Amino acid sequence: MSNFTRTITDRINKFQGARATIFKNKRQRRILLIVLIGLMLVFPFLPFVSNYWLDVGFFVGIYVLLGLSLNIVLGEVGLFNLGQAGFYAIGAYTTGILYTQLNIPIVLLLPISAIVAGAVAYLTVSPIIHLKGDYLCIVTIGIGEIIRITANNNPFGLTNGPNGITGIGNPDFGLFSIRTSTQFFYYVWIIIALVIVALINLQKSRIGRAWNYIREDEIAAESNGIDVRHYKLLAFLIGTALAGVAGNIYGSKMMIISPDNFTFMESCLIFAIVLLGGLGSIPGNVLGAAIIVIFPEIFREFASYRMLFFGAALVVMMVFRPGGILPRRRSQAGFSGLGIANLPTDENQYIENIVAQGSVAQRTGAPSQAVHPESVPSGEKRRVLETQQVTINFGGLIAVNKFDLNVREGEITALIGPNGAGKTTLFNGITGIYPPTKGRIIFMDEDITALKPHKIIAKGIARTFQNIRLFPSLTCIENVMSSPHYHATAGPWESIVHTSRQRKEEHLILETAVYRLHQIGLWEYRNELAKNLPYGKQKLLEIARALASSPKLLILDEPSSGLNDKESEALIEFLLKLKTEGFPLLLIEHDMNVVMGTSDRITVMDMGSKIAEDVPSRIYNDPKVIEAYLGKEE
Amino acid sequence: MKKAFAFTFTVMIILSLILTGCAQPAAEEETIKIGLQAPLTGAYAAEGAWAKQCVEIAAQLINDKGGVLGKKIEIVVVDDASNPKDSALAAQKMVSQGLQEVIASYGSSVTAPAADLYDANKVVSVAYGATAVRLTMEKERPYFFRTAGRDDTQSEFFAKFAVETLGAKTLAVMHDNQDYGKGVAVDAMAFLQPYIDAGQVEVVYYDAVTPNESDYSAVVSQIKALNPDVWFYTAYYSEAALLLKQAREAGVTSTFIGSNAVPSPEFVKIAGESIVDGSIHLNEPMPQFLSFPESKEFLDAYQAKYNEMPGSIWSVYAADGLNALVAAIRKAGTTDPDKVAEAMRTMTDATGITGLLLFTERGDRKDIPYYAYIYNAQGILEPYK
Amino acid sequence: MEMFAEQLINGLTIGSFYALVAIGYTMVYGVMKLINFAHGDLFTLGSYLGYTILVIGAGWATATFGVWGGVIVAVIGAMIGIGFAGLLLEKVAYAPVYKAGRLPLVVSALGASIFISNAIMAIWGPRYQAYPQASIPTGSLVLFGDVRITYVRLVTILVSLGLMALMYYIIEKTTFGSAVRASALDKDTATLMGIDFKKIIRFVFFVGPSLGALAGVFAGLNYSRIIFNLGQTYGLKAFTASILGGIGNIPGAMIGGLLLGLMEALFEGYVSGAWKNVFVFVILIVILIIRPTGLISEKIAEKV
Repeated sequence: MSNFTRTITDRINKFQGARATIFKNKRQRRILLIVLIGLMLVFPFLPFVSNYWLDVGFFVGIYVLLGLSLNIVLGEVGLFNLGQAGFYAIGAYTTGILYTQLNIPIVLLLPISAIVAGAVAYLTVSPIIHLKGDYLCIVTIGIGEIIRITANNNPFGLTNGPNGITGIGNPDFGLFSIRTSTQFFYYVWIIIALVIVALINLQKSRIGRAWNYIREDEIAAESNGIDVRHYKLLAFLIGTALAGVAGNIYGSKMMIISPDNFTFMESCLIFAIVLLGGLGSIPGNVLGAAIIVIFPEIFREFASYRMLFFGAALVVMMVFRPGGILPRRRSQAGFSGLGIANLPTDENQYIENIVAQGSVAQRTGAPSQAVHPESVPSGEKRRVLETQQVTINFGGLIAVNKFDLNVREGEITALIGPNGAGKTTLFNGITGIYPPTKGRIIFMDEDITALKPHKIIAKGIARTFQNIRLFPSLTCIENVMSSPHYHATAGPWESIVHTSRQRKEEHLILETAVYRLHQIGLWEYRNELAKNLPYGKQKLLEIARALASSPKLLILDEPSSGLNDKESEALIEFLLKLKTEGFPLLLIEHDMNVVMGTSDRITVMDMGSKIAEDVPSRIYNDPKVIEAYLGKEE
Repeated sequence: MKKAFAFTFTVMIILSLILTGCAQPAAEEETIKIGLQAPLTGAYAAEGAWAKQCVEIAAQLINDKGGVLGKKIEIVVVDDASNPKDSALAAQKMVSQGLQEVIASYGSSVTAPAADLYDANKVVSVAYGATAVRLTMEKERPYFFRTAGRDDTQSEFFAKFAVETLGAKTLAVMHDNQDYGKGVAVDAMAFLQPYIDAGQVEVVYYDAVTPNESDYSAVVSQIKALNPDVWFYTAYYSEAALLLKQAREAGVTSTFIGSNAVPSPEFVKIAGESIVDGSIHLNEPMPQFLSFPESKEFLDAYQAKYNEMPGSIWSVYAADGLNALVAAIRKAGTTDPDKVAEAMRTMTDATGITGLLLFTERGDRKDIPYYAYIYNAQGILEPYK
Repeated sequence: MEMFAEQLINGLTIGSFYALVAIGYTMVYGVMKLINFAHGDLFTLGSYLGYTILVIGAGWATATFGVWGGVIVAVIGAMIGIGFAGLLLEKVAYAPVYKAGRLPLVVSALGASIFISNAIMAIWGPRYQAYPQASIPTGSLVLFGDVRITYVRLVTILVSLGLMALMYYIIEKTTFGSAVRASALDKDTATLMGIDFKKIIRFVFFVGPSLGALAGVFAGLNYSRIIFNLGQTYGLKAFTASILGGIGNIPGAMIGGLLLGLMEALFEGYVSGAWKNVFVFVILIVILIIRPTGLISEKIAEKV
């Protein structure tokens, strides 16, 4: 074992030993939280707090909401959005226009503003959601500017142009209405408290995790059953709706809104809040907003220089704390950080129970008995996967040429061939990453040609990648929890409320993941971030992740590359064990020991075409194969 | 270590909150404090700086003569960054510091939220760079006043001047899509309407340019092709200077008329003397053409200190905001906002740098005439004859 | 027809500025995958540096070298000065953050942008400054009919096109250029192949900002008015241009910049000034829907 592994093991041991302190920290954290809430409650009555500081507190609140709204898109999903001020504007203008024109009460306009902002975001963003990082960034800048300029140009006399809309009323709850600075302070912070509770629940649910998977690696997320497009749009929808809420509250406090409020600079500030606090960190967000608002206020006296300090402070902050001030710490939280209710406090006890039950395997794995009891008689085993004349072109290059590949039930099939033969491309064709140019792919008697990757895994094909594609900044257990995602159905609402059905699903996801992680021998690394694992372990983690989807066919792309001899042998053993569990396997492999030691059937590929398909012993002696492949190697 | 950092940070924030909160001045008032809310940062930082300079000169002149009610004037400056949100916070800060009279602010949409706050807290506020009609007309703001004229007064003068004095047949009206420029342009169109209906004139161009850009050649080419008799630009001097420079270089010969936000030393500096030569500008009486001793005294003091003329007319209005407040305090004999506001409305003889400082019931400047001025070849402004 | 010809020239001028600034964005982006938000402010700084060179010693540069000579001195001075400012920026604000990933870099860039523009305000004041009249070359060339172009404008377009051609040649045709391109494609492999990555970074952070500075000085000469936040508008538009062309490649930045300038001029000239930027962004979005990675960039399938 390498030095590196030892360090990690040491760290984990230390971590186990340090549990007591962590719990103490947790208690400390709870006390800190209670103190902070108490402070917020009495804040308006502190002796030095004037209306000015209450208003500062109110605007901190507005920026907390805006920060949280962007955090969903930028922090959780990692989408660059520099147009959040535009959606904030939509919320404010919806409130302003509907209140002044139709006299709808402000409180009623709160959800309406959210819906309108979300709807506008959905309509404008859905055609461009597939754009990559910076391209999406400039488009969101564009959308923000389009919204601001449109408001400024006063279309149909609705927005009153640069003058803006005046005479917006205060929120009125019938019995009492929100008017004074103190009332507004409580009003905004109560809403924030509710929003935070909802967002924490959402963050710690399959939806929150799906967002994080996308942020970490879009292709791996899609291949593990996350409908990337759907979840990106969902993030935009919820995030911008929240910005709409902020717009409504802002409008009702200021009573005047004008396009000047919603400039590009405003979007930049919101962006800075999220990154200053730490991506995806809700407490960090609150602190980030507080800094962005309070810092310039403290230096308001030094008017001309305050933005100078502010700019320098941003740089210094990023140099010394690039992860933000309060980044979300996943590995320290352990399973309790997953937000699943009623877990046993002792994680080792938990795994023992699950292994003892052995129930997960029956519930979710073992395709041979569970899915196809009517196995076709031996000799001609049923074909699980069949590619028929599959061709994949890149521009003029034919990477895969009229390829027929068969994987039979209960067998391990190996696909071998020299480098560049097109093996991985064929895998990508099967799993939907590159849709085939021609030909059909039949899986379990069903045509799955050109389905999207997240649909393919739902059909029952799970895969690993040649160049490891884990979710590097998530813990091992979170990595493995990705692939059971598609088994569950809880939507945003259930995930916010944590309904009992949602909780049951979450338990099942965790149990499946825990079982597979343990099975592959990585249990002790469960709370370690995937990127901290050594290479060989990362490969295993990827296999565990694929297995946790309870597939009917497992596709492994060079599982043994980068492993030492001992590890390879363990791998061979593990693959054979999987076979007895009933998983058909398809591998790409260069290590002939692994190929010969495991496979029942070998297909040889060269220059995109099939040159042989047979049992290992005959392939080994096939002159064509030796010429094309083995001959060159020896 | 990291925890310690976070902790120290939180403590620092809370401490600075407390300190700043506590740092309010002791109760005994040696001076009369008057607030100045101005954009010291942001896009209009220059206007803020000038307003500060002008108000400080005016305060100094008052203090040199013994101040008011036996006390010296002290100016408290707060930045509003030319942004409505910051404006509300700046106003709240003024209110929290116990100020009773303030000069605030520059830009109508920035002034509006502040004016509301001052009004709700019974603080007399005098705007100096806010000309939108709605500020005084849309609702009652008993504590709000302004020393600058209104958009519509200027626009009415423009329509009459362009059509009747200059005899223009074709007109171009151009604004910058911001509240001031668009306000003047919309009103100008309204006052031109009777002439248009009578078939007397035709507006061949009515559109906006984007502020803060540098190249306006696309719109200049359009003006060149349309070749109007009069080309009215309703917004600020800096874009006006670029437009005029690029237009003259491209060979546009139309008569250029600038709104009262255009004529300033800065306008000449950017465009150059040869370019501004012959351009006409509408304005309330310019201080240099007024015979009041206050005008000369102020301009002399300003030039002695800064070796130039005030950069914009708005900053002079800010100084007159102070003069008006001081006159009203003197008349009321107190700084009590109710009495000062009352005094503001009933003053009959207060003079400032820009003439008589009289206000209507709603807080608008009373009897503020407009004149046309023209630049000569040396870049000096002269009354138009 | 005359107006159309004029609008083409106008668009070409505006576009030249966008393209020059966009090259700086795209070079830094190509090598570091960083949107250098401070680039627009370096442009402003360049403009101010040129201004300072022209006003020091009561126009010493112009008096000694003549009007055009003064211009050359100002341009070269600003380019060198801002080149070093770019290096300094990289050293202080980016190098320490580089390891932390892309997002902290973006915030650092945002902070640097706010810092530089406010530093300019602190040094030169918040008001507009104007390039001295005596230092700006005058006169214009009549092309045909009443269509004319000032000499400054003509030189702006020619110098921009020349520099773009030079940059294109350096990046696409020289060994050093292929090292830059290799680093942009795969930094690690390039380093293994013996390419000095630090040198590449120094190159892009010197050349990109100095091209921006050149544009800044020419902006001052063309329009004379400069202000501390001048670079915001140019920065945003140039960034748009580089994305439009396909960020990370230099021909893309050039085409994107020129196209953007032409679109602006033609739309403002024939349709509406108030809706100009809405139009620009709508076109950008439509182009990106059709070509998700910009106009020029070739489609490279991500290796899975």
